Amino acid sequence: MNELIDKIVGIVGWEAIRTILGVVGVLIVVVFNALILTWAERKVSAHIQRRIGPKEVGPFGLLQPIADTIKLIAKELLTPQNVAKPLYFLAPVIVFIPVMVSFVVIPFDARLQVKDINVGILVILAFSSLSVLSILLAGWGSNNKFSLIGSVRSVAQNIAYEIPLLLALLSVVLMANSLSLKDIVEAQKGVWYIFLQPIAFLVFFIAGVAETNRTPFDLPEAESELVAGFHTEYSGMRFALFFLAEYTNIFIICAITTTFFLGGYQGPILPGFIWFFGKTYLLVFVILWFRWTFPRVRFDQLLNFSWKLLIPVSLLNLIITGGILKL
Amino acid sequence: MVGKILEEIKTTLAGIDIHEASYEQKGYHLTVDAQKGNILDIAGFFKGRAFYLEDMCCVDYVDYLEIVYFFNRYIELCRVKVTLKIEPDKSIAPTISNIYTMARWYEREVHEFFGVYFDGHPNLTYLFLHDGIDHYPLRKKQVPVPEDVKRLLNSYKPEEEEDAFFVNLGPQHPSTHGVLRVVVKMDGEYVLSAEPVLGYLHRMHEKMAENRSYLQFLPNPARIDYPGALFFNLAHVATVEKLCGIEVPERAQYIRTITCELNRIASHLLWLGAFPADLGALTPFMYAFDDREQILDILEDVTGSRLTYCYFRFGGLYNDVGDTFIDKTKNFIKRLRERFSMYEKLITGNVIFVNRAKGTGILEQAEVTKYGCTGPFVRSTGIPYDIRKAEPYAVYDQVDFEVPVGTTGDNMDRYLVRIAEMEMSLRIIEQAITKLPSGPFKAEKVPKKLKPPKGDIYYAVESSRGETGVYLVSDESDTPYRMRWRVPSFSNLMTFPALAEGTLIADAIATLGSYDIVVPEIDR
Repeated sequence: MNELIDKIVGIVGWEAIRTILGVVGVLIVVVFNALILTWAERKVSAHIQRRIGPKEVGPFGLLQPIADTIKLIAKELLTPQNVAKPLYFLAPVIVFIPVMVSFVVIPFDARLQVKDINVGILVILAFSSLSVLSILLAGWGSNNKFSLIGSVRSVAQNIAYEIPLLLALLSVVLMANSLSLKDIVEAQKGVWYIFLQPIAFLVFFIAGVAETNRTPFDLPEAESELVAGFHTEYSGMRFALFFLAEYTNIFIICAITTTFFLGGYQGPILPGFIWFFGKTYLLVFVILWFRWTFPRVRFDQLLNFSWKLLIPVSLLNLIITGGILKL
Repeated sequence: MVGKILEEIKTTLAGIDIHEASYEQKGYHLTVDAQKGNILDIAGFFKGRAFYLEDMCCVDYVDYLEIVYFFNRYIELCRVKVTLKIEPDKSIAPTISNIYTMARWYEREVHEFFGVYFDGHPNLTYLFLHDGIDHYPLRKKQVPVPEDVKRLLNSYKPEEEEDAFFVNLGPQHPSTHGVLRVVVKMDGEYVLSAEPVLGYLHRMHEKMAENRSYLQFLPNPARIDYPGALFFNLAHVATVEKLCGIEVPERAQYIRTITCELNRIASHLLWLGAFPADLGALTPFMYAFDDREQILDILEDVTGSRLTYCYFRFGGLYNDVGDTFIDKTKNFIKRLRERFSMYEKLITGNVIFVNRAKGTGILEQAEVTKYGCTGPFVRSTGIPYDIRKAEPYAVYDQVDFEVPVGTTGDNMDRYLVRIAEMEMSLRIIEQAITKLPSGPFKAEKVPKKLKPPKGDIYYAVESSRGETGVYLVSDESDTPYRMRWRVPSFSNLMTFPALAEGTLIADAIATLGSYDIVVPEIDR
């Protein structure tokens, strides 16, 4: 047996095996995260609204997401007439790939990381800004006016909010003196950056909520205005992929927040990955809480908020951080 | 006021036939017999004196058609009925839509139901009916639609315009609360024009009324406006009672007031849930429904149904209320007062909500007479017009309440006015419960087959959306000769194109949500 392993390792190398295992692990995390979040969203919303939520399938309705998934898979994939077929089919696939890549560099624990790239945060930002492309494809390809408006809104929104997102992260990068996520976590051994950089934390989290198209910034899919926005014409598993990507995006934003501001996997007694997931899901809960409490902002308010408030504030924060560090 | 107007009309418009009517019997103060030549002058005269077009309908007297206009004032009530007789064949009347914008829809309605042509109307197409109707439904004799005209009567088809981005909000759209269709012409996120297209829920209740006896029509009004079923029930019952001269016992009047106010709260709560949902906040919906459920339980106990109540009968009620009703209502009042502070925190204090609602969808006070808006919609502009105060029915003259008004007439004001109205309703209920007299709940000797004396009457009640009026013409038979429903949402919605124009699509939808429209009521 050992000989066989040695032989395989000799042929493909440790690095490749590690990557394959990582990809499988990431897939498992993504799917489980989506299942948990669908359940959590329904439960959280139910309790915020004084309802019970799902309770029939499994204990506390825990198996409800699985029943939903089976339903979505079993559904016929409807293709509306007059859609731009290549774009329409491609969009749900493309929406999913960038979010998967982002997982590669996230340190779940001190040793639980697929690959520690020394420009890790750049990888995440580069790939997460790709997801807007798929929204644009979906909106354009659907040949539906609501989808089109939704996707155009999404592009404007993503451009506006990527800048404060980046600026907020930069001030942390300056302090940690590294772009590698692991280094940043290690730099928070003493004090978490949320205490040193509270403004950057707020700006990043708000911009993150906007990047994931969640309430109060859910304009691309604003259901009272645009029916379902860019995924109006999608049903069945194609819709489920958008859904999966949305929940994965939420997880990634919360995971980055945890890594950058809440000390990542660090914490006493319990193993690191429990701390990591605990902090991340706490933030996820806050995002769900937003969704079921706030109304939606208007489009001009959304852009004004970013260009007139978040960007100047984060820029100022960056300058002050740089100045203090220089001194 | 009535005398002053009478004198003014006589001096201003020479050769006009004007009489004073018995307000106690007819529900209007003055009648004017207009001619085709002077109807525009008359409308212009009323417009200049801050009258609003309350209602406009047509009655077919076989020998001639009579177009009936009701003009009224928001302050100092003076209801004027203007009649215009026109020939039944090839009937043409001048349009007053240039003076009163609301007449555009009223005239389209008269046109499709009676075949009257309005000279100079900008868009004389069908409002409710579809293209395939081959006769005019409300005419007493069957009059076919001329073949060459049929093609002209097609519904509004805006998509033929080139180089424009049209979006159909509805008839299946989350924000239209039913099956309203609004054709929006857009430039990016901005609304260039918005045109409501009606008729998806048209059931012709006015024709149904002519085909059944007064008693048989009892369940229908609840279907016209389902969230405010009791007001419509009351409007129908009270109109017939007044025409027949049936005295209603005091206890019944008090119970009518209490149940109506409960219904008003229930209707406003439905809106309170739906309006934030239009802005993207879904949680208030559940909270409001939680409270509304309590009212439905209370009303179910006494009326037997939860939504489409048919509780009032000619001369009284379906059944008496007991002590449990009183106790439950008292508990509910206590509960809702506590809940108001929660709504305050959840909605009124929410900065996003305030930013969305303040300063959007502003209705100018000077504009309202053109449309004839009523209810919370007009009160938000600062006009304290409430039928409960202006012409008290039931026992509203015996309870102490105020009419909450807004200042600017924006979405926030409409929200605040409705919240204040709910609190006022609680006050009315409390007073009515303490004063509730014992005695019979039904008038004795009400004939099973009602045959009201010949004549007409206009009677209005304040529903949760505004003035709900019934214009009833009786010919001494057991069915109405003509029953016209004046519904508030209809004239409120007419303001939408003006309010939506030039705003962002999100604001237009928020404004539409603030109207509290009920589509079955508009379409009837």
